[in-house]
Amino acid sequence: MKPIMEPKPQLRPVISWRMKIPWTPILFLTPAVIAFLLFKYYPLVQAIYMSFFDYKVIDPPGRFVGLSNYSYLFHSSEFWNALRNTFAFFLIYFILTFWVPIVQAILLNEIRFANKTIRVLYLLPTAVPAVAGFLLWKWLYNPDYGLLNYLLEFIGLGSFGWLNDPAMAKWAIVIPGIFGSGMSMLIYYSALQGIPSENIEAAKIDGAGPWKRMISIVFPSLKFVIGIQFIAFISGVFLTFDPMYIMTGGGPANSTRTLSMLVFDSSFKEFRFGVAGAISFVMFIIIAVITYIQIRVSRTD
Amino acid sequence: MRSNSWLGRRMFIAVVLVFVLVISACSSGGGNSPSTSNGGTTPRATNDKPDDTNKEPAGNSGEGSGPIVELTVWDAPKPEDPQKSLTEEVFSEFEKQNPNIKVTHELMPQGTNDREVFVTAMAGGNGPDAYHAAHFPIIGDWVGQGLALDLTSYWDSYADKDQFIESSLQAGTIDGKVYGFPNDMYVTGLLWNKKLFEAAGLDRNTPPANWDEVISFGKKLTNTDKKQYALTLLGMEWADWWFEYYVWQAGGDLTELQADGTVKLTFTDEPTVQALQYYKDLKWTHKIVQNNVLQSYQDNMNDLFQGRAAMTNGASGSFGEYAANGLDLNDLGFAPYPAGPSGKGPSQIGGAYWILNPKSSKEKQDAAWKYVTYMMSKEVREKYYQFQMDNGIFPNLLSVRKDVDPGQYTTNVPQDLIDGVTKAAAEARLEYYLKERLTPYVVKAVQQALTEEKSDVKVLLQKAQEAAQKEVIDAYNASVK
Repeated sequence: MKPIMEPKPQLRPVISWRMKIPWTPILFLTPAVIAFLLFKYYPLVQAIYMSFFDYKVIDPPGRFVGLSNYSYLFHSSEFWNALRNTFAFFLIYFILTFWVPIVQAILLNEIRFANKTIRVLYLLPTAVPAVAGFLLWKWLYNPDYGLLNYLLEFIGLGSFGWLNDPAMAKWAIVIPGIFGSGMSMLIYYSALQGIPSENIEAAKIDGAGPWKRMISIVFPSLKFVIGIQFIAFISGVFLTFDPMYIMTGGGPANSTRTLSMLVFDSSFKEFRFGVAGAISFVMFIIIAVITYIQIRVSRTD
Repeated sequence: MRSNSWLGRRMFIAVVLVFVLVISACSSGGGNSPSTSNGGTTPRATNDKPDDTNKEPAGNSGEGSGPIVELTVWDAPKPEDPQKSLTEEVFSEFEKQNPNIKVTHELMPQGTNDREVFVTAMAGGNGPDAYHAAHFPIIGDWVGQGLALDLTSYWDSYADKDQFIESSLQAGTIDGKVYGFPNDMYVTGLLWNKKLFEAAGLDRNTPPANWDEVISFGKKLTNTDKKQYALTLLGMEWADWWFEYYVWQAGGDLTELQADGTVKLTFTDEPTVQALQYYKDLKWTHKIVQNNVLQSYQDNMNDLFQGRAAMTNGASGSFGEYAANGLDLNDLGFAPYPAGPSGKGPSQIGGAYWILNPKSSKEKQDAAWKYVTYMMSKEVREKYYQFQMDNGIFPNLLSVRKDVDPGQYTTNVPQDLIDGVTKAAAEARLEYYLKERLTPYVVKAVQQALTEEKSDVKVLLQKAQEAAQKEVIDAYNASVK
């Protein structure tokens, strides 16, 4: 015989769960989620799907080729060259540009005089259309009539090939990036503003010098923002296309041809949309792996 | 516990959402599969089976009765086009003659370049019913992608078909089928600034006749103090375009189309090696070209316009542009290219075709054919030439139609330019076969020769050939066999 007061544990929690569906946030979030899925994930899934076909744009999907497009990639000198160039750009961008806004923000944080004006001045160049900026730099680099060679010749440092020199072209493409970091600087500056001034003052009283304060207080406070910025930086560099396309077209001798340029060329010059899909997927994997490592390292820290 | 359970539900919902997305993505791709499109509302791509679908040439969509057929064509004149008024008159005349055909003339959408915009629009099902900028080197690839309708049955029953010059049809005829209706054509040649020749002590009317004279003339025309140089080279991502002229001058080509349809690479043949060595010597040994060898085509032309370059490549259809940029055509010379070791200097024929959209309905294709034949009719072409002559606009000196003679409308063009174009057109050829696929390999070798002084051209071309053979040619030849 069963006890009379047998509990009915199933019913109440279900009702409770149903009652707690947060409809308002769902309502507000749904359009954004749908847009995100539609414009981010759908193209990704479509690119993966395309990569298994000799894709025909007019009568998709064309002939199923299995992993042939991937096999082609791994035997293609163009792919390996573009992959090497992409990693080289990643390193050069990291060396030349990633730290710049951090330093700018730290210095700006110490300045009280005309602080707002300087912030605006840093931010203004971000309003210049990127394409116009790259064209301007292309003219500056012109070995015959460019301003840079004119100035260098004037002070006796000779002239350089800049974008014409395969050894120099990558660096020349990245150099404009040093000056275009206003938005990142502002993000770091905001993070610095969040550090309680009491901590800094206490450190000063305890005898901590500027370097010690930087290592012990400022950097730990910025670590999270730097991590987020680094993730954005990784995908930004791997997907960058405009500067190479405008300034060198991938040359000289394919020395600035990156994976993103290879995707464009494979699609619209060679009509190998399946290969373009395969390259896109490989890029996705690379970015995902590096981002994952970065997140793991951040968590460990 | 409770939060974990809530998290689990959220995870479940997220997984379901992603799954639904994947399914919808896959089904969407499948929805565009040939079986669906053939059976659905979208008309079948008629170039799959041209004999079945095109048996009836131009239909009666232009006659007075029947439903109205609406066409979209990307040929609206830009606001600044000096021929806008004539073009609008020509459009309205067509609609008057064909009351059942309504043509919407649109400007081409903006994009990175015209080819990308067209292909993207076609892929999205928004392509025009007729398109007039299928360039000679690209049409083969577009046909391969199914972007152009097989026009053979239309062409065979076209009354004026014999009025088009044969070379204008060459690139648009693939495997014996006509895919392109010639729209315009140009021939390239050596373009020089007569004033700079005179200033250098050279005869203003005599261009260099061979490679040796290019160098001897070039040394006189190069003046580093004035930042003036003799000859432009094209070293950017289209570097193979101008380089192939030098290969022709040396007696070779970059590819050979075999009788069975396969392609043989000739990058390492003696004429190609000779041409690249000469190209390299112009830059590094003789120093008579621009330092910025990677500059764009437009930058090269700007150097000519601004008197910095004495010689460049010109095209018969661009004299109007040269005049518009401040050049006096009386100070401009045009002639066939200097002869290389082969004793010849062939010019290149280029141009563009009209193509029809294979996805349009049969009625639209018939109407589009009618529109294209109207736009390329003798009457309309002559109207344009007459308008250009009356308004001081420089005409294209090469017509795709035999029965339209541009020579009758050239009162404002110096006779020696007309003679130069005629001579250049006497020996002209198409760009090398499979150019669109092979460009990256050729360009890499050319750019290395132009940017690395110690490079060995034989090694560069050998490497380019090996890579192109493995990555392009082997697969291409296997597909055509």
